[in-house]
Amino acid sequence: MTVSSVIIALVLGVGFGFSLNKAGLTSYNNIANQFRFTDMTILKYMMTAIVTAMIGLYIFRGLGWVTFPTVPATYIVGNLIGGLIFGVGMAGAGY
Amino acid sequence: MNQIKAFISQKTWSPYLAGILLGIVGLLTVLLANTLLGASGAFESIVGLIGKKIVPGLFSNVYWGVEGGRAMPVIRPEITWSVILLVGIFFGGTLAAFSSHTFKFRFNDDAQWKRIIGPQPWKRWVIGFVGAIIVEYGAGIAGGCTSGLAISGGMLFVPAAFLFMAGFMITGVITALIVYRKRY
Repeated sequence: MTVSSVIIALVLGVGFGFSLNKAGLTSYNNIANQFRFTDMTILKYMMTAIVTAMIGLYIFRGLGWVTFPTVPATYIVGNLIGGLIFGVGMAGAGY
Repeated sequence: MNQIKAFISQKTWSPYLAGILLGIVGLLTVLLANTLLGASGAFESIVGLIGKKIVPGLFSNVYWGVEGGRAMPVIRPEITWSVILLVGIFFGGTLAAFSSHTFKFRFNDDAQWKRIIGPQPWKRWVIGFVGAIIVEYGAGIAGGCTSGLAISGGMLFVPAAFLFMAGFMITGVITALIVYRKRY
């Protein structure tokens, strides 16, 4: 790995961690309350991020600046069962 | 200038604003590194790296790759790009906590957790540890976590992302119902 890609990874990681903390997703109650539907922070946060990145990505692809990286594989049973297991830990531990 | 300072030192931002920041980070990840954000894979890479050193037999499989094998491993047992990203995430979170003056070593100080589950720190640690194992196991099966699959996949319109989100919402709600019962 080149030095520049290490720096890029670190800087982007800092941005990621910063936004997670500022959204309040580093505290238990915000995660737990999403599953009680008393606090919609996670969904607002995730959907905004997805939509923002989506708009940018398709514009950039249209301009020919990016080619999409390998997308996560879709295998219906695996994704769904993985998600079902994930939810237990996420709501239980609140991380 | 003072306004910017005051803005940055807020404890939390609007989730929409923080989401836009993450969206930009995700976008830059594709633009600058031609890869996707992800956190769970990094843990698996670290585990694979350590495991291959200690018990190579146990870790020589389809998932982490066989020595000299031709098939690409699912998780590369090395310091990958996302391991570096994970280091950055740690420092980013710390930086944000410092910026809002909320940085503190805490063992169990979430008021809601104390009320529902109990004030003992060991409960927080045990449930946190077991929960993390479940989360990582689920992420391993699904092929990513909330960031690597749901957000990164979602922004590329990958069906897997939406299946995964539906999955964790279903059991998340059920788990919360069991934990909170009448207080749900």
